[in-house]
Amino acid sequence: MKFKMYKFLFTVLISMIVANSAFAKTKITWWNYSDEGGGLDATLKEMVQDKFNASQNDIELEIIFKDGDVNDNTRTALLAGVGPDIITSSGASYVKAYHDAGFLLSLEKYSQQYGWADKILPWAYNTGVFDGQFYSFPQNYETMLYFYNKTLFEENGWKLPTNLKEYEDLAEKIMAKGMNPYVYGSSGWQPTHEHLVGNYFNTYAGPENVYKALTGEIKWTDPVFVESIELLKKHMLAGYWAGSLENYYAIGWDDYFSQLTNRQAAMLPIGTWGFGDTIAGFEAISDEFGWSKLPILGNYGGNPNYQLSIGSTMSINASSKHPDEAAKVINWMISDKKRVVELTKKLGFGNWLIPLNYDDDDFSQDIHPSMRDFFVDFSETTAKGDYGYTTWTFYPAEAGSHVWKEMEVVWAGDITVMEYLEEQQKLWDKARSKNALIPVGKR
Amino acid sequence: MNTLFSKNFITWYFLLPVLIIHFLVIIFPSLSSLILCFTDWNGFGKINFVGLENFKELFDDRVFLLTLKHNLIWTVLFLTIPIAVALLGAYLLTGVKRFQLFYRFVFFFPYILASVVNCLIWKYLFHPMHGIGTYLSSFGLDFFSTSPLTSKSTSLYAVAWVDGWHFWGFLVVIYITAMYQVDESLYEAADIEGATKWQKFWYVTFPMISPTFFFSLLIIIIWSVPAFDYVHMLTNGGPAYSSEVLANFLYYEAFYQMKVGYASSIGALMFVYVFIITALFGLLRRLGLDI
Repeated sequence: MKFKMYKFLFTVLISMIVANSAFAKTKITWWNYSDEGGGLDATLKEMVQDKFNASQNDIELEIIFKDGDVNDNTRTALLAGVGPDIITSSGASYVKAYHDAGFLLSLEKYSQQYGWADKILPWAYNTGVFDGQFYSFPQNYETMLYFYNKTLFEENGWKLPTNLKEYEDLAEKIMAKGMNPYVYGSSGWQPTHEHLVGNYFNTYAGPENVYKALTGEIKWTDPVFVESIELLKKHMLAGYWAGSLENYYAIGWDDYFSQLTNRQAAMLPIGTWGFGDTIAGFEAISDEFGWSKLPILGNYGGNPNYQLSIGSTMSINASSKHPDEAAKVINWMISDKKRVVELTKKLGFGNWLIPLNYDDDDFSQDIHPSMRDFFVDFSETTAKGDYGYTTWTFYPAEAGSHVWKEMEVVWAGDITVMEYLEEQQKLWDKARSKNALIPVGKR
Repeated sequence: MNTLFSKNFITWYFLLPVLIIHFLVIIFPSLSSLILCFTDWNGFGKINFVGLENFKELFDDRVFLLTLKHNLIWTVLFLTIPIAVALLGAYLLTGVKRFQLFYRFVFFFPYILASVVNCLIWKYLFHPMHGIGTYLSSFGLDFFSTSPLTSKSTSLYAVAWVDGWHFWGFLVVIYITAMYQVDESLYEAADIEGATKWQKFWYVTFPMISPTFFFSLLIIIIWSVPAFDYVHMLTNGGPAYSSEVLANFLYYEAFYQMKVGYASSIGALMFVYVFIITALFGLLRRLGLDI
């Protein structure tokens, strides 16, 4: 009797284990950066993890948030042959390094299966193509523009500049009023300098010349780039940003929006990640804001354009045991554009702005009109071929960090602009010889 | 078999877990880093040996030479100002009878604050729009109208000031602890001889706390080599490398430039420097100096 009881219990136990395995969900892990209390973690858990898990019964997604730099954690894990199924990286230079080391699975099969090439904006899709295969999914796109205090402009009869003369005249007029033309600074994020370098390259030398330099047709020491950096240096030392070079180094994120809203500065040159705080800042005051593409300053061609940039990416770990399920998660992310817009809206449009082909219908009525205008204008402008290139998406690692780190040395007068660009060219030559360049789609 | 369980071996068994952990987290990474000095590894892929190429490049690197100079200045600054202030503070505190614990806590408080908090406090204090400069300029004092952290001529000293501000309280505590160990009878004898306060400090206190004092010199010299957090958070070595130090430069090379091999060679030279300093102090101790 006793033996029979044991036999029964044993059978039940084994059946439970077998049943559990048969109906167990496949777990997919995904490492993402954390904003450490800023709301990103909770939003992603609620709008991605929980919604995905509720949408089906086969896969259990777990987003794990890494404090500090997620790239450091990811690199260490990948080197050890482990890591999550879905990898987040901070952009193309990391993807290139991961790809070269064999850490990433080609997503070509999934791209064809799910039709990702048709859903993602072509330029963004191309940044993830290495050796003809798709490896990284663009998680967030950014571009540079500038915000301005519209009410202040109207009161003073100022107009947005369309060329260098108007640009400098406007700056003089604003400074004569005791304000800073622009508020911008690098406190807390030294690579801010590269935003300015990119702006001057794309608006003075023009995107066509930048493209030629990226692809090796011309050198970075070409006079068009020398003139661009000389102009940036002139404007920096004239105090266009924050009043002086020293103040530019001292001010940071909080100052941007307070100076713009309290009329200490008239304009803010920043990426699309500034939309959220600008909207919030102006909601609290009676002034209105406007935004615009950067004006063309040089005579080397080109129309006002949007610089292309991918802020972060998603890839599948080559050692993932469940790549098909990981691809399903990624595909789910973009399967509903309204949900994508809702997510990025909740994050102030500074995160998860996935570069998809959006239509007017994808935006809900409560989205801020300036954001809607931007989305539409971005699609139209880039479709016409008016786009430029950011340093943090299209530069190889060494040249990409040199471009902002050494900029301070140029501003300090310790090296000449030509010396700065000669060193840039050397780093590009080195990267080219090592096949370490980032893919650039044909214009 | 008996030998394996002898008294000598048993000791090693107890030490074994610690030794294994030490090997895994200290010895192995250190040795790996030493090997990486001779490679061009970018931290991800294939490792190529390049011989002494990294060291050759390093000694031609103007920024590296600048960081050496800055680390030297940093060491001298920390060997002078915080030590002098801490000795004075500790000596004065020994004479305080009421609320001494409170004062000790006040002096030590910045040391227990996270470095990121200290950095934020001083960044705000030095801020050109709403820091102490704005307040002082209302009295016609314009010397803080720009942040000292953002001027090429002052950035290194400003960062050292902030780091020193948090560090000197630590020195006060170790000095005051040493001062309390001094035999009271020595002070009584000095009093009978009519010694002044300064004479009591110089001829009684200082010689008696000299082992602690020299220990503090040693740790300051050693800790000045990997100085990183305050520089990284306050200026990230800028403007224009004016506050760049070895450890921050190493970080930049490893994680921004993705030159892990090159960064390892900087780390190896830092290790050699610390090793020489430690050996030097060991030698002086063997020669009979009370340190």
